[in-house]
Amino acid sequence: MADLSLNGLSKHYGDFYAVREVSLTIADGEFLVLLGPSGCGKTTTLRMVAGFIEPSAGHVRLAGQDVTLLPPWKRNAGMVFQSYALFPHMTVAQNVAFGLEMRKLPRADIERRVEEALALVRLGGYGGRLPRQLSGGQQQRVALARALAIRPDVLLLDEPLSNLDAKLRQEVRVEIRELQRQLGLTTVMVTHDQEEALTMADRLVVMNEGSVRQVGSQRDLYERPADRFVAGFVGRTTFLAGTVEAPGRFRSDGGLALACAGGSPGRAALSLRPERIEIGLQPRSGLDNSLSGTVEFVSYLGALIDIHVRLSPSDRLVVQIANREGGFTPEVGQPVHVGWSASAGQVFNE
Amino acid sequence: MADVALTHGPVADKRRGEGLTAATLITPATLFVAFCLLAPLVVLFRYSLNEFIPAKKMMVEAVTVANYIRFFTDPYYTSILATTVRVAVMVTAICLVLGFPLAYVVARTQSRFKHLLIISIILPLFVGNAVRAAGWMTIFGSKGAVNATLMGLGLIDKPLEIMFTEKAVIIGIIAVNLPFMVLTLQSVIEGIDRAVEEAAFSLGAPPGTMFRRVLWPLALPGILAGTILTFILAMNAYATPFLLGGPLFKMMAPLVYNQFTQQANWPFGGAIAFILMTVTLLLTVAANLIFQRRAAR
Repeated sequence: MADLSLNGLSKHYGDFYAVREVSLTIADGEFLVLLGPSGCGKTTTLRMVAGFIEPSAGHVRLAGQDVTLLPPWKRNAGMVFQSYALFPHMTVAQNVAFGLEMRKLPRADIERRVEEALALVRLGGYGGRLPRQLSGGQQQRVALARALAIRPDVLLLDEPLSNLDAKLRQEVRVEIRELQRQLGLTTVMVTHDQEEALTMADRLVVMNEGSVRQVGSQRDLYERPADRFVAGFVGRTTFLAGTVEAPGRFRSDGGLALACAGGSPGRAALSLRPERIEIGLQPRSGLDNSLSGTVEFVSYLGALIDIHVRLSPSDRLVVQIANREGGFTPEVGQPVHVGWSASAGQVFNE
Repeated sequence: MADVALTHGPVADKRRGEGLTAATLITPATLFVAFCLLAPLVVLFRYSLNEFIPAKKMMVEAVTVANYIRFFTDPYYTSILATTVRVAVMVTAICLVLGFPLAYVVARTQSRFKHLLIISIILPLFVGNAVRAAGWMTIFGSKGAVNATLMGLGLIDKPLEIMFTEKAVIIGIIAVNLPFMVLTLQSVIEGIDRAVEEAAFSLGAPPGTMFRRVLWPLALPGILAGTILTFILAMNAYATPFLLGGPLFKMMAPLVYNQFTQQANWPFGGAIAFILMTVTLLLTVAANLIFQRRAAR
């Protein structure tokens, strides 16, 4: 295992920048997740690390060596593909042995390491089967074993869970994470699924339109999003459009005067997390903002309840409450009071 | 129980009806193959066992293998068979070598002009073999375009002998067969996940090794189909060897034609036709077995 660093990495096709000046350092043994909507450049970035795409500018350093111009077969990077990309004409054992044969290891070593790798993904005894005789989850584990067998400097995962059903995905998520910790694998994973990203990563990178928008821990991204995009992409939030009149004073387009934290005068959006807002039949004292509204829509999610509250003709807020016994049970059309402290909201100037 | 019987009745009738429809649909094709392909072959095979009296140019009813013996004992004919097999093998090999990279590029291209690329591959097939061969004659002739250009540039001082050689025939048949090879390979390569190639690269396989260990074995069904198609077409080529090979160059298909029309020797012509068919079939099956054994390893 080793560390990986990207320095000013860019890829453009004519005028179109797929990836723009991405610089990241991934520590030895760290699990980094590239998160973003489709077309944000996360996969292109991963493919530049793997060597499938040649960067237009910038450098990739792996284990202290500049590999920017090295072809994929000269980099020691293990990759798990979205489609698994198992060799359909080879058995499971032959698939796993492939990378070791390329490294010209003695036959006995290959056999031992194939067995080790298959045991690691709990597929011992499946070596003689063909990929098409396995379930999707098993194929995924063979792909992982094949990438691990070569003892890569870095493990690259390209949406590895997107072809599994929801239940299996949750199991495999934990499995991959535990394996990664146990082996101390430097890992880069690409995903568009924020829940997947949040549960697996040591550190996350949010990308949009080819650029890195924010790098940080789960808490950093959720509590202190760097911009409006990150606030909207990680977790849920309601944006109220309006103007900052003076630092700490926000007026929504619907005419609501609200206390907020900071902000500089001008057009802005106020981001409010649904679970940070208090709701009840009576106004609560001690909150910086207290407003009355009407329940417009309720979705019952089991453990949680989403309540959409109309505050003004152009302002609607989503409030999320825990579904406690004897707790507040909203009804559509009900007049309610909502409130939050100034520090609960975040202002993004335009 | 009566109810059950009643509900089952119409369903069973409907099933039988579907079987009848299927039979109606496949009958014309079956009859066509039976009467237009199998029947003439049977008749031809019967003819090939007859005797021929050259003086009267007459066929006499008999059951003899004399025609077959005549073919295999006369070096003139066996050398024609050898030439035909040699040309077909060379054409097929060159088509595979030239066709694979082209098929790969067409299969993998992301370009929006992909359909134009495919049309341009098929385009040569819009021109009949005889017309095309006539075109080649104007290019390859001793005063043709190729020689005129090379001599004009001073690269050669006497015309290259291309026309009326085996070379000309091979080039000509390749031009006819290449599209078949490319299209067959392209459709198979398209079915191979690109990520599989990338997986091989990421595991440390350079392009040559990736090709040998991954792409080739996965494309094998297409390689086999394309090879068989090309080989059969080359073995049976008529217009191209006839026009580009000239009077001294002989291949099997023109020989069959010659026996029927010039010599009016139907028994011998029939025998040659059957020898050509059998050799083609045997070589195809043999190649198939060898390929499959290697793939199974």
